[in-house]
Amino acid sequence: MTSPFSDQSALVSIRNLTFTRGGRKIFDDISLDISRGKITAIMGPSGTGKTTLLKLIGGQLRPDSGVVQVDGIDVHRLSLGDLYELRKRMGMLFQSGALLTDLSVYENVAFPLREHTRLPESMIRSVVLMKLQAVGLRGARDLMPGQLSGGMARRVALARAIVLDPMIILYDEPFTGQDPISMGVLVQLIQDLNRGLGLTSVVVSHDVRETASIADYIYLISDGKIVGQGTPEEVDRSDSPWVRQFMHGLPDGPVHFHYPAVDYASDLLETAVSG
Amino acid sequence: MYSRTIEIWVGIFVALGLVSLFLLAMKVSNLAELDTGGRGYIITARFQNVGSLRPRAPVSMAGVRIGRVTKVGFDKSSYEAIVEMRISGEYDTLPTDTSAAILTAGLLGEQYVGLTPGAEEEYLKDGDEIELTQSALVLEQMISRFLFNKAEEAGGTEEGKAEKKATGSAKR
Amino acid sequence: MVTALQWLGQWAMGAVHKLGRAHLFALHALSGFPQVLVRFPLLVVQVYSVGVLSILLVAISGLFVGMVLGLQGYNVLSDFGAEESLGVMVAASLVRELGPVVTALLFAGRAGSALTAEIGLMKATEQLAGMEMMAVDPVKRIVAPRFLAGIVSMPLLAAMFSIIGVLGGYFVGVGLLGVDEGAFRSQMQAKIDFHEDIVNGVIKSLVFGVIVTWIAVFEGYDAVPTSEGVSRATTRSVVYSAFAVLGWDFVLTALMFGKD
Repeated sequence: MTSPFSDQSALVSIRNLTFTRGGRKIFDDISLDISRGKITAIMGPSGTGKTTLLKLIGGQLRPDSGVVQVDGIDVHRLSLGDLYELRKRMGMLFQSGALLTDLSVYENVAFPLREHTRLPESMIRSVVLMKLQAVGLRGARDLMPGQLSGGMARRVALARAIVLDPMIILYDEPFTGQDPISMGVLVQLIQDLNRGLGLTSVVVSHDVRETASIADYIYLISDGKIVGQGTPEEVDRSDSPWVRQFMHGLPDGPVHFHYPAVDYASDLLETAVSG
Repeated sequence: MYSRTIEIWVGIFVALGLVSLFLLAMKVSNLAELDTGGRGYIITARFQNVGSLRPRAPVSMAGVRIGRVTKVGFDKSSYEAIVEMRISGEYDTLPTDTSAAILTAGLLGEQYVGLTPGAEEEYLKDGDEIELTQSALVLEQMISRFLFNKAEEAGGTEEGKAEKKATGSAKR
Repeated sequence: MVTALQWLGQWAMGAVHKLGRAHLFALHALSGFPQVLVRFPLLVVQVYSVGVLSILLVAISGLFVGMVLGLQGYNVLSDFGAEESLGVMVAASLVRELGPVVTALLFAGRAGSALTAEIGLMKATEQLAGMEMMAVDPVKRIVAPRFLAGIVSMPLLAAMFSIIGVLGGYFVGVGLLGVDEGAFRSQMQAKIDFHEDIVNGVIKSLVFGVIVTWIAVFEGYDAVPTSEGVSRATTRSVVYSAFAVLGWDFVLTALMFGKD
């Protein structure tokens, strides 16, 4: 099952992906498309391997079987050099920001420029300040990562992720653990960057409300399979009990409240007899 | 993190390290006295027994080190040891009848080659051989010779004297 | 009994696997050396962190070791009436053995453990993974400069240790115990050979530099990315370095100083 947008506009195309780790099937023959210029959300309960999916797209992990294509290129058939070239066109925002702790905010954002380009110092400065301005942290350029709050660190990481003007940004749980204001800021930024820079965004999250408010298309993944997909309205109206439980945050449903156990009454009586 | 201070400190560190190496080489080791007279020249000498003489052992004359042993070899046909030594270039007035002996530094010290000058007016050149040599003294041979002499003196009979005459020349 | 054998087999296979990974890692890091030389500031910063900051430790240790050698050496030599050879004894012990070995052990404890912790922590906070996603090879960018810095710093530190140690021995021997100054220096200069002693000592310290730094950066890179994992990796790095240095010291000493 793929999105209704035509295949030619899919920037990332995943077909029949299977990935196992530690004996557990993280992904079981799934297929999905990430459309160009749109914000696609991958949602599901914690531990379903959503971060793993981003690592598979970025080539950090190899699937057991299946194909992952980015901009028409099979990621896992690339040589190391070509893979690095592809990664220069992708930006990734890690959950913790993953800023280099011994560099200042300015130096962190400048890092990809220094490593991959031979731009003169003056140009680097202009680009860095522009990107910091876009995330609203131009004044914080001389702070060290240790001095930043979680939300600020993520915004700096975002500025760094867009510094080479990538074609796609992968967001790994951007809203987790944020206060409402930071969350609002990030939501706004993701949307603005997507529209303003014509980016393609993939947001992996389990924050239903925030993600659904900006997503153009949603995939719901559970137990290694896609259990629901569609535009936010379609998913919200879905009849599937699983989708309903997840989207509305119902405590009991296909994902049971009780962990499997023996019969309650006999369990208690047994204790009473032996106790 | 990179700054001028760091550059300076690293420079000091490397300088200190190199100075230490230099001091070790010059002040602690014998680098200063190595072959000051140019590459020097090679001469050889044959011995019956070189004892524990090793390459890099000193070659001295009048107690002054003028060279080093470079190679200790063995002649398969004459069963002699061939010692090759490099003499420092500034000592080029060794007479051709110079003699070489293998001596011991101190009572139990390492062995070295001691050269004693002769009287010829021609000098040794690169590739020449020293004719007169004296082998190393082997402790066991000295002891057995000493004991043999003592036993003879204690004997003192006609037999003993005759034996002494007969074996006296064989000992040499 | 069978479980013990099973455990031994598993351990052995794990060890061989780790050794293989360590060698591939080293080759990968080596391939990054040319880049490091081109971006010289990267190397300079690491030489500061690894070398300059170890100077004080090495200097003070060298001084005390040299002084103790002076004391102990005098005790032993005076039994043979050979006090005049104190210079040779102190210098030979330092240049051939104690300089390279003790410096390597100190280096492993101070700089090696710091390298392991730093790299391990970068792994645990996803900085290495982040770099990979930014198309920057973390082995060439982070590990290679530190590896090269360690190799460069060790011989310099060992030389400092030795020369300061000789000075310490001199102060104690000549200054305190009355050994003749001329004898101390002349015997030392006569008997310590540049090629046999100094050069071999430098070769040893280079080999130890490679070993200690290699173990330190690899343990950091290979660490389990949790705080407990990093702490264990740091301990392992110091312990394995100690074993490796002492083991290789025996091999090198046998090769270099053994009688023909």
